[in-house]
Amino acid sequence: MSRLRLGRQVAGRIVSALIMLCLLSVVVYAGVDALPGDPVTSRLGGTVSPDQIAEAQARLGLDRPLPERYSDWATGLLGGDLGTSATGAPVAGVVGDRLRNTAQLVAVTLALLVPSSLLLGVALGKRAGTRSDFLGTTLLLLTSAIPEFVMTGLLVLILAVGLGWLPAVSLVPAGDSPLAHPTALVLPVLALLLAGLAYSSRIIRAATATAERSPHVEFLRLNGISERVVVRQAILPAVLPTAVQVWLVSAAVLLGGTVLVEKILAYPGVGPVLVDAVRTGDLPVVQALAMIFGATTLAAMMLADLTGSVLDPRRSRS
Amino acid sequence: MRLHQRSATVPVTIVAGASAIGVLAIALLGPLLAPHSPTEPVAAPYTGPGPGHLLGSDSLGRDVLSRTLRGGFALLSASTLACLASTAAGATVGILAALAGGRHHWWEGLLMRPLDAIAAIPPIITLLLVLSAFPTRSGVIIAGAVTGTPLAARVALASTKPLLARSHVEIARARGESPSWIALHELAPIAGAPIIADTGLRFIAAFYLVTAAGFLGIDLGGTDWGTLLVEALPGVALQPLAMIVPLLLIATLAISVNLLVDRLVQGSTRLLG
Repeated sequence: MSRLRLGRQVAGRIVSALIMLCLLSVVVYAGVDALPGDPVTSRLGGTVSPDQIAEAQARLGLDRPLPERYSDWATGLLGGDLGTSATGAPVAGVVGDRLRNTAQLVAVTLALLVPSSLLLGVALGKRAGTRSDFLGTTLLLLTSAIPEFVMTGLLVLILAVGLGWLPAVSLVPAGDSPLAHPTALVLPVLALLLAGLAYSSRIIRAATATAERSPHVEFLRLNGISERVVVRQAILPAVLPTAVQVWLVSAAVLLGGTVLVEKILAYPGVGPVLVDAVRTGDLPVVQALAMIFGATTLAAMMLADLTGSVLDPRRSRS
Repeated sequence: MRLHQRSATVPVTIVAGASAIGVLAIALLGPLLAPHSPTEPVAAPYTGPGPGHLLGSDSLGRDVLSRTLRGGFALLSASTLACLASTAAGATVGILAALAGGRHHWWEGLLMRPLDAIAAIPPIITLLLVLSAFPTRSGVIIAGAVTGTPLAARVALASTKPLLARSHVEIARARGESPSWIALHELAPIAGAPIIADTGLRFIAAFYLVTAAGFLGIDLGGTDWGTLLVEALPGVALQPLAMIVPLLLIATLAISVNLLVDRLVQGSTRLLG
C-alpha cells in the first residue's frame, strides 16, 4: 500500500471517529433527556411539593432549554471540563484518581490476556478437529456464557470463601495505587481475564485453524521445516493481524466489565462511583463517564480498523 | 473428526434445551410453589437448610427458597420484553436501511450511524445512564431495548441487503409493489431465519443486563436472582446456598441458551449460504 493511500485512510478514519464522537455526545445528552422521566422528579416526585421539584431542577439547570444546556456541556467537554456533579463538586475531581485505578486494572488484565489468549488460541487451532480441541472450545464457550459479575461471584466463592487464599474485597488504602497491593488486584483481574479470554481465544483459534490449512504451511511442513519455525514464520504472521484487532475490541469490552467487577469487590475504580451516582441521580457524573467510556471504545475500534488495514498482508499487497 | 462433532451435537442440544426449560419452569411456576412470603422472617438469620426452610435463610432470616422461586418471573419477563423490542426496532431500521439505501446510498448511513454511536457505549453504561434519569423497571427494559437495537439492525441489514438483487424482489418492484409490501412479503420470510437466530443472542444480552441491574441493587427492591446474589455476598461464608442457588440458575440459563443459539446460528447461516 502506498504511503499516500495509507495517510488518506488514517485521515478518513479519524474524521469518521470524530463524527461518531459528536453523535455519541448527542446520544448521551439528548437521549437521556428524551426518556420519560428526569433525575429529580423520579426521586422526589410524590414526596415533596411541585415548587421544591422546580427549585431542585433549577439548581441542576434542568429548567433551561435542551439545545442551550447541550451546547454548554459540549463546549465544556471540548475544553476538558467534565461538568459539575449534582453535589456541586467538579466531576473531574470526583473521578480523577478512580479513572487511573480502572485504567490500571484494564492494563494489567490486557497484559495477561494478550499472551494467554495467543497461546491458548494457537494451541487449540493447531489441534482443530481433535478431541482436545473440542473439549477446549466447549469449555471456552461455557466460560463466555457466564457474565463477568457471576464469574466474580464464583471466584469469591471458591478462592476467597472456600480456599481462603485471597481477600473477598479488594481493599486499597485511599490514595495508594492498586499496583502496590497485588493481592487486591488478583480477583478483579482474574474475573475480567476469564471473561475476555474466552472471546479472544476462540477467534485466534479460528484464525490459526485457517492458517494451518493454507498451502504455504503445508509446503513448509512437506519440506521438513521444524514445527517451531512453521509457527514463527507462517502461522503467527497470519494470525497476528486478527489477534491485534481482537485484543483491541476486548479492551473495550473489558472496560465495560470493570464497572460490575469493581463494584462487587469494592475495588477503588470508577465502578463504585458510577453506581452511587446512579442511585442518587447524579446525572452529570454518569454522563461524563459514559462519554469517557464511549470515546475510549471508539478509539479502540478505530485502532482495530486501522491495524486491520495496515497489518493484513492480503490487503496491503493490493 | 467431523463425525465426532456431529454426534456430540444432538445430546448437547437436548441437555441445553432441557436445562433452559427447567429454569424457565422454575421462573414461571415458582411464584405459585413458594411456601413462604419473600419478606417474612422464617428462621434466625443465616440458618442452614432444615425442615420448613429447605435452602436456609438469608441475612434477615427470610426463606431463600421462596425468594428464589419468586425471583425469576420479573427477571425473565423484563428480558423477554427488552429482547422483543430490540429485535422489532432493529429489524425495522435494518430492513428500512437496506431498502432506502438501495435507492440512495446515504440513507443507509443516516439510519445506521446513530445506532453505531449507541453501540460504542458499553451496554452496562447505557443501563446506568438510563437508570440515573429513570430508575424503574421500565427503565431497565428501555435500556435493554436500546442496547440491543444496533446489533439487531446490523443483522437485519446484512441479511436483507443481498436479497435486494434477487429476481423475485426485482419482479415485485417492477410490478409496482410498495416498499412495505416488498419488505413484508419478499424480504422478511427469507431474512427471518438469521433475524430469529439473532433474537436468541439479544435475549442473552438483555438477560445479562436485567440481571446486572438487579445485581447492582439499583433495581427496585425485588427478589431478582441478581439482587439475591448481591444480598448473599456479605454472608456467603455463613450461608453459601443463598448465593450458590441464584448463581447456578443464572449460569444454567445463560449457558444453555448460548449453546442453543450457537446451533441455531450455524443452522441459519447454512440455510442462507
